[in-house]
Amino acid sequence: MTGIVGAIVEAWDELRIHKLRVLLALIGVAVAVCAITGITAAAQMMNQAVKEQTERSGGRATTLMVSAYPTGSVAPTGEQYDAEFTQIVERYGVEYASRELYSQLTFRFPNGAQPVQVQAVDVDYGVMRRVQPVQGTWFAEADADRFAPAVVVNEDFLELLGVSDLSGHPTVMLGGKTPVRTTILGVVATQWEGEGPTAFLLYDHFTRWASPDVQYGPVVPNLSLWVPPEMADELTELVRRDMSAGLPGTQTDVYQQGGGFDVLEGGARWVITGIGGVALLLGGLGLVNIALVTVRYRIREIGIRRSFGATSGRVFFGVLMESVVATVLAGLLGVMAAIVIIKNIPVERIFGAGLQDVPPFPLSAALVGMACATAVGALAGLIPAIVAVRVKVIDAIRY
Amino acid sequence: MALLELTDVTRSVRLPDDRILAILQGVTLSVDAGEHVAVVGRSGTGKSTLLNILGLLDAPTSGEYVLDGTPIGRLSGRARARRRGDDFGFVFQQFNLLPGRTALENVAAPLMYARGKTFWRRFTLAAQMLDRVGLGDRLDTMPDKLSGGEQQRVAIARALVRRPRVILADEPTGALDVETGGEVMSLLDEIASESGAALIAITHDLAVAARAQRHYRLAGGVLLPIVLNAPGQVTEWIGDLPVSAPLATAVPITLEEDRA
Ligand SMILES: Nc1ncnc2c1ncn2[C@@H]1O[C@H](COP(=O)(O)OP(=O)(O)OP(=O)(O)O)[C@@H](O)[C@H]1O
Ligand SMILES: [Mg+2]
Repeated sequence: MTGIVGAIVEAWDELRIHKLRVLLALIGVAVAVCAITGITAAAQMMNQAVKEQTERSGGRATTLMVSAYPTGSVAPTGEQYDAEFTQIVERYGVEYASRELYSQLTFRFPNGAQPVQVQAVDVDYGVMRRVQPVQGTWFAEADADRFAPAVVVNEDFLELLGVSDLSGHPTVMLGGKTPVRTTILGVVATQWEGEGPTAFLLYDHFTRWASPDVQYGPVVPNLSLWVPPEMADELTELVRRDMSAGLPGTQTDVYQQGGGFDVLEGGARWVITGIGGVALLLGGLGLVNIALVTVRYRIREIGIRRSFGATSGRVFFGVLMESVVATVLAGLLGVMAAIVIIKNIPVERIFGAGLQDVPPFPLSAALVGMACATAVGALAGLIPAIVAVRVKVIDAIRY
Repeated sequence: MALLELTDVTRSVRLPDDRILAILQGVTLSVDAGEHVAVVGRSGTGKSTLLNILGLLDAPTSGEYVLDGTPIGRLSGRARARRRGDDFGFVFQQFNLLPGRTALENVAAPLMYARGKTFWRRFTLAAQMLDRVGLGDRLDTMPDKLSGGEQQRVAIARALVRRPRVILADEPTGALDVETGGEVMSLLDEIASESGAALIAITHDLAVAARAQRHYRLAGGVLLPIVLNAPGQVTEWIGDLPVSAPLATAVPITLEEDRA
C-alpha cells in the first residue's frame, strides 16, 4: 500500500521538478487524447442523431412494413384488412403496431377548402417513428373514443388556418359532404420548405369520418410492426405466409426497415483516429526522449534512492509511473477539453433537428481516451525504467 | 552477538583488460550495536568498497557477512533492499542531496520506503529531525542555497530519520573545511549516540577518526586494527597517511601488530 502510494508521490515530485520539459511532451499527449476522445464521442453522438432521423422516416430497428396490394379487380374490404392485421398483431404479440394509409382529404381553411395530404395511423405510430410535436401532443389511446375526429397537423397547416399556436384550442372543418369539426391536438414541424399542409388522423377516425377522394384510387392500408431485430427475419416469413393465406387475391410484401447506421464507421473515423494516434505516438516519443535524458541525469539520484532501500521493482515502477502519472494527467485534460468542445457543438444546427434522446457525453469515449493516455505513458516509461533498473548502485553514488 | 560481522571478506573486480583487481582481501570485522568505529586509509585502498558491502549496496566476492544473525548472501535482492532501508543510514562525502527538493523533502525521502505510520507521518518526522540538527528554520530551503556544512547536516538528518541501527559515513567531512568538519562530526557522533545507532565512519582525517571507540586502517585492501594513543590529539600518521597538524604536537600511533 505505502509502496504504491510512495511510488506515485515520487513520480509526481519528479514531474514537478522537471515540469517545463515534460510539459511540452504532455501537451502533445493531451491534444492527441482530446482528438481521439472527441472523435469517439462525436461519432457516437452523430450516430444517435442520424439514427433518430432515419427512425423518424423509416421506423426503429426493426420495423416490418407489411402491405397486401390487390392483384385483381376484387380488393379485400377495409374490415378484412383490419381483421387480418389485428390477428397478426395478436398472434405474434407485437407490442407496437400501427396501421397506416395515405390519403387526401379536404379541409376548410379561412380562404377556402383545400386538399390536404393525410396519413391515417394508430397511436403507436408516435413512438415507432419518434414523432415530436413542436406544439400540443401526439394522440393518446383515449383519443380513439372521441365523438369528433382529432388531428395532428404540420406547421404549414396551422399557418393556412391563420393560427399561430394552440392556445386558443383551434378547430378545423374536415370537408366532404358532411363536414365534421376536428380538434387540432398537436403540431409537428414542417419537413421541408413548401411542403404544404399535412395532417395525421387516427386510423379509426379516418374510417369513421373521412370520405376519401375516389379519384385517388382504392385505399389500401399498410401495417407496420416494431419487432425485436433478432426476430425480424423469422417474423417476416411468418407474416408473409399468414397474410397471403388470410387475404387471397393480394400481393403480400413484408420488408424490413428502420434503424440507424454508423456515420463515422467508415473512412472519416479512421482517418481522424489515425491522426490522433500519430499525435499520441509523437507525444509518447517526446516523453520517452525526455525520460531517457532525465534518467541519465538522475543516475546518482537513483543510487541515492537505492541507499534508502528502494528495491529494483520500486525503481522500475517509480520511473514507469512518472510517465504514467504525467500522461494520465494530460489525458484527463484532453478528455475534459473534448467534453467542452463536444458539448458546445450545436447538434441542432448540424443535423437540422434536435435529438430526442440527447446522449450524454459517452463514457466509453472518455474511457478510450484515458486508456490511450495510460498506455502511451506506460510504453514511454518502459525504456527509461529498464535503464534505471540496470544502473549499478555503486557506480551511481561514486564520484 | 555482534550486529555486523564480516568474516574473511574479499571483493575483486574484473578489469576491462581481463585482469582481476583485488580491492578487499580477507577483511574480518565485527561491530556491536551502538559502537562507533572509524576506518582510515589512503585513497583507493577500498574504503568505500568496504562501506558499500556493509551497507548492502555491494556484495562480497567471497567470505561471509552476517547482519544481526542473518547471513546476507542468502537474501534476495528485494530482501537486501528492505534491510538496507530498515537498518542503514548513509552519509556521503558529496552530501548527495536530491537536487530540486527542499531540505524537508530530502529528509523525508527515505521515509517513502518505510511502511505504515512512519510513511504517512514522514514530513512531521523529517521536520523534527531537521530541528535536531539545527536547521529547523531552513525546512523549505533548496540544497543549493545551503552551505556545505548545512548540506551535510541535512544529509545527517536524512541518514537518521528512519532510526537506522547503523550509520555508514563515507568521508562525511571530506568536502568541508576543518572547523565545519569538526562540528559536523560532533553532531554525527552525538545524534548517533542519542539514537543508539552504530556509527562506522570512513575518514582521511585523524582528528575525526579519533572520536571513535575503535579504529581500523585499510591499506592495500587489508583491514587492520590500530590504536590511537591519545584520542583527540593524534595528528601524525605512520607511513602512507596524511598529516593534519604541525609535527611538533604529534603523538605517535602504534599499530597493534607492532606492539605484539
Ligand atoms: N567496479 C570497479 N571496477 C574497477 N575498479 C574498481 C571498481 N570499484 C572499485 N574499484 C577500484 O578499487 C579501488 C578501491 O576503490 P574505493 O572506491 O573503495 O576506494 P576508496 O578507499 O574509497 O578511495 P577514496 O578514498 O578515493 O574514496 C580503486 O582503485 C578503484 O578504482
Ligand atoms: Mg571512497
